[in-house]
Amino acid sequence: MKNNHIFGFSVIHLILLGLLVLGLTSCEDPIDIDLQTGPTQLAVDGWITDQPGPQTIKLTKTTGYFDASQPPPALGATVIVADEDSVIREFIDVKKNGNYVWTPKNGEVFGKIGKKYLLGIRYEGQEYISISQMNPVPAIDSLVFREEKPNPFESRTGFRAEFYATDLPKQTDYYWIRSYQNGKRLDGTQNIVVSYDGSFNGSANTDGLLFIQPIRTSINPDSLYNMNDSVKVEVLSITPEAFYFFLQLSTQINNGGLFASPPANVPTNVINRDAKGPKAVGFFGVSAVSSKTVKVEKANIRAKED
Amino acid sequence: MKQFLHSFFLMMLACSAVLAQPAPDAVSASRRTNAQATVSGYIKDAANGEGLIGVSVFVKETGSGITTNSYGYYSLTLPLGTYNLVYTYVGFTKQNRTVDLTSQNVRLDIELKEEGRDLQEVTVSTKREDDNVKNIEMSVNRVEMKTIQKIPALLGEVDVIRSIQLLPGVSTVGEGATGFNVRGGNVDQNLVLLDEAPVYNSSHLFGFFSVFNPDAVKDVKLVKGGIPAVYGGRISSILDVRMKEGNSKKTTVSGGIGLIFSRLTVEQPLFKNKEGEARGSFIIAGRRSYADVLAKPFLSGDLKGSRFYFYDLTAKANYRINAKNTIYASGYLGRDVFGADFGFNWGNTTTSLRWNHVFSDKLFLNTTAFYSNYDYLLDSDLKRKDPKDFFNWKSGIVNYSLKPDFTLFLKNNTLTFGGQAIVYDFQPGIANAASGGEVRTFGLENKYALESALYIGNEQLVSKKLQLQYGLRYSLYNYIGPGEAYEFQTGVPAGQRRFPVLTTKYDRGEPIKTYGNWEPRFSAKYELNDVSSLKVSYNRLAQYIHLVSNTTASTPLDVWTPSTNNIKPQIADQIAGGYFRNLGKTGTEYEVSVELYYKWLQNQVDYIDGADLLLNKYLEGDLLNGKGRAYGAEFFVKKNKGDLTGWVSYTLAKTERFVDGINNNRWFPTRFDKRHTVNVVALYDLNKRWSFSATFAFATGTPGTFPTNGYIFQGYLVPHNAENSRNNYRIPPYHRLDLAATLQNRKKKPTQKWESNWVFSVYNSYGRKNPFSVFFRQAEDKRTVTMNGEQVQIPVAEAVRYSVFATLIPSATYNFKF
Repeated sequence: MKNNHIFGFSVIHLILLGLLVLGLTSCEDPIDIDLQTGPTQLAVDGWITDQPGPQTIKLTKTTGYFDASQPPPALGATVIVADEDSVIREFIDVKKNGNYVWTPKNGEVFGKIGKKYLLGIRYEGQEYISISQMNPVPAIDSLVFREEKPNPFESRTGFRAEFYATDLPKQTDYYWIRSYQNGKRLDGTQNIVVSYDGSFNGSANTDGLLFIQPIRTSINPDSLYNMNDSVKVEVLSITPEAFYFFLQLSTQINNGGLFASPPANVPTNVINRDAKGPKAVGFFGVSAVSSKTVKVEKANIRAKED
Repeated sequence: MKQFLHSFFLMMLACSAVLAQPAPDAVSASRRTNAQATVSGYIKDAANGEGLIGVSVFVKETGSGITTNSYGYYSLTLPLGTYNLVYTYVGFTKQNRTVDLTSQNVRLDIELKEEGRDLQEVTVSTKREDDNVKNIEMSVNRVEMKTIQKIPALLGEVDVIRSIQLLPGVSTVGEGATGFNVRGGNVDQNLVLLDEAPVYNSSHLFGFFSVFNPDAVKDVKLVKGGIPAVYGGRISSILDVRMKEGNSKKTTVSGGIGLIFSRLTVEQPLFKNKEGEARGSFIIAGRRSYADVLAKPFLSGDLKGSRFYFYDLTAKANYRINAKNTIYASGYLGRDVFGADFGFNWGNTTTSLRWNHVFSDKLFLNTTAFYSNYDYLLDSDLKRKDPKDFFNWKSGIVNYSLKPDFTLFLKNNTLTFGGQAIVYDFQPGIANAASGGEVRTFGLENKYALESALYIGNEQLVSKKLQLQYGLRYSLYNYIGPGEAYEFQTGVPAGQRRFPVLTTKYDRGEPIKTYGNWEPRFSAKYELNDVSSLKVSYNRLAQYIHLVSNTTASTPLDVWTPSTNNIKPQIADQIAGGYFRNLGKTGTEYEVSVELYYKWLQNQVDYIDGADLLLNKYLEGDLLNGKGRAYGAEFFVKKNKGDLTGWVSYTLAKTERFVDGINNNRWFPTRFDKRHTVNVVALYDLNKRWSFSATFAFATGTPGTFPTNGYIFQGYLVPHNAENSRNNYRIPPYHRLDLAATLQNRKKKPTQKWESNWVFSVYNSYGRKNPFSVFFRQAEDKRTVTMNGEQVQIPVAEAVRYSVFATLIPSATYNFKF
């Protein structure tokens, strides 16, 4: 088991449930620990989509783990993204805060499906590059809700969202699924959802099928949605490399407990052209996005299945 | 090689045929040559007819002796004459017999009586208590069930595996971890045998309880080194668990009611003749946890119908056909079931059939045929089956084996030889997914392998002081079709995924890859004097199956995988040496031993970062091949006699691994490396009614990989280790004290059959929050800060100590017998 989640179900919670009922106690306490800080590296956080509006690539510097919530910006870098037709777009750090931004002209969007994109960064005398591709993405057909208890221990009910989309046939697709509650992205560590042909990794046979059940409902907050919430779901096409990157990111930031995976560095696709030079961390990706925004109201609520 | 094996086997058969001649003139024949006769027989417990393992048979005149085998059988060949034999066994009253071997072989079956506690003061030496010094075995720990029964582990339940974890050289990753580690070996490197059938997952409820029902267990032996040639297939240790045969004197019922589960055991004689003598007996023992039953009224809504329980059923029967033939059938069936909506269940099934045949007074044969199965099932919904939307997944391992083992008792030599053939059927995982009514099955094809071995070994008494045990085992492994074999890219930087470049299909039975290994074994014992000895040993072992597990604690969902053209068999070489001494007024009051060991491990399976282990056809491309080394010193002091008994053990050890592509190609400590381990077990009998026990365990914290840096990606705080090192920190040390008291209830009349006792225990008595691991995460709640005049939410980093038990756990258990 590579992760304490099996197909999205947390083994730890299952065990905790078991142990709770068995009257055993396990516990997690925050503790103070001294960690040695390693050398600083360039950290790239660049995700570009075909959606309207400015696109941003964030550059920061790694710091000690406990200081990393507010990392120092990497300033003074030159950042460009080129497509395979040699159209070069420059990203500028207007506010001098490490956010390098490209602003489209009226009606212009970034990227075309099927095209490859190259990120180039010149920073502190080093040149870093990274390549990604914009793959196609299926439309989201519908987004509905069912009234349920968030968990068996609660008496109140909420609304469990389920979206329907069909995997693109005759090709291997990788998706990143994001959801928003009243405009705020669900960004808990457990909210990283990626899918392979609308299913889980390794299930080579769901090509062209409706996204399978656990994926369809993987867009809910723990407490579920409330009446009148505005719920938005996005499906982003990603590269295989990005898919494995997200799996490992999810493993590493949700790691712990009895069945923890060995902690390991999350991979990067940002490469220093000088193999002996300092290495970068982070990831660069481009995605096509399909999305659906729906309000939790009567028209969208379905009867419970059982 | 085939030819060699063939001729070897023929030779063995011929050998046994010659020796097996049960000619009535055997003695006269032998008299002509070197004038010897043999005394042999079975030694049993007078109370219940159980065969006694390891009883010492000592010949006063010659000073020589032997111990009974796993079936209670012994055979001693001596020059013609009359001898005084002394039969001694731990906790039993010794017996003296005079045997007349002047004219013929003698069959002498003995029943030994258990000594009462009250008698202990008056009887002199009762057993060959100097086994520690006199027995050639080293790196072997035998724990008597009586001792195990006095040290209740978690929740007042007696447990075999939790008890052996108190022995030197045995450790675990932490509480609740499945399996155990012996002298730096992985959990998959222990051959756990239940009546000679391997058990693939020895744990219930993850690692809190073991699958062995203590009421049905007769003998537990752990072999950590100097492993004799009869054993093979795993490279770190052998845990040989023997089940009771069942009372052949009278029907008994015993059981217990505890907080977590209840036990019930029935034993009964079979085929009693007119004299009341039974030709056979059986035992059937069951356990079931009932937390789910008790919790039922409190569960409502979605939790209704939740399942979380385990059960096991152990049964065994034996039948003595005649003095020369006995058959045994044993079986085990256990299952753990967990889940509310999504859930899983797993369990072992084993069956073994054994035939003990005494060819002649000197040649003993045991043939075992066994079946063993371990499987698990994951299901997206245990409660309601929706045929339109579900997901389930099965995986397992099945094997069948035939194993003849011969023992030939000669003067000063005990020769063992035999072989084993195992057929493996691996089911790496089959999944069924249904979405919107369309069902698709996917997963991996089963894999097949054949493992066979031949061995020969001898235990030789060279002189009164020097005894040798040596042997050779040849194991031959075939990875066979039907199946696909893959070849992977070469030249990929170490530590990265290798993609397949060539797939070859194989037909049923077609060999894909063959491995063969010679496995030499050697032990020697030299007695310095009556109370001390030196022992040394060397062994090489090969292992052809591997547990693919990349988590801190091994899980029930880990998958066993065969050696293939890409995964090489694991090999271990171990040398060990020790000094053994007995001390005290009676000479054997205390046992002391010091052992040193060094172990080299080859072809250890490791994993690339982010390895994909589930349902991955090309799993082998994510595996790495490493080597290991483990070394240490084990100190052991045991007090055998008096009101206060118990032991203290201290282990100083180091376990490291080297894998290309991990930890910058430097050696790193394994996840279960512990520098210091101390265990203290004290048992105190206050009076006839009260007895107490205390166990204390201390161990250095295990290593963990901690981040040195961090960065933010898409709002997530990502830990990063700038040096890319593995296991660079240690978690705080582990220590725990458990206490228990047993109260024997008074009998109302001396003739009363009903016996009962209460066991009160406290686990983790000072409530230490022992860390299982320390991990790093972003706190659930984010912090709001003002950045450039904007309110932004940022994640907060925290280090978390994870403890499996954070408090003391009291419990009470009621046990009965009638």
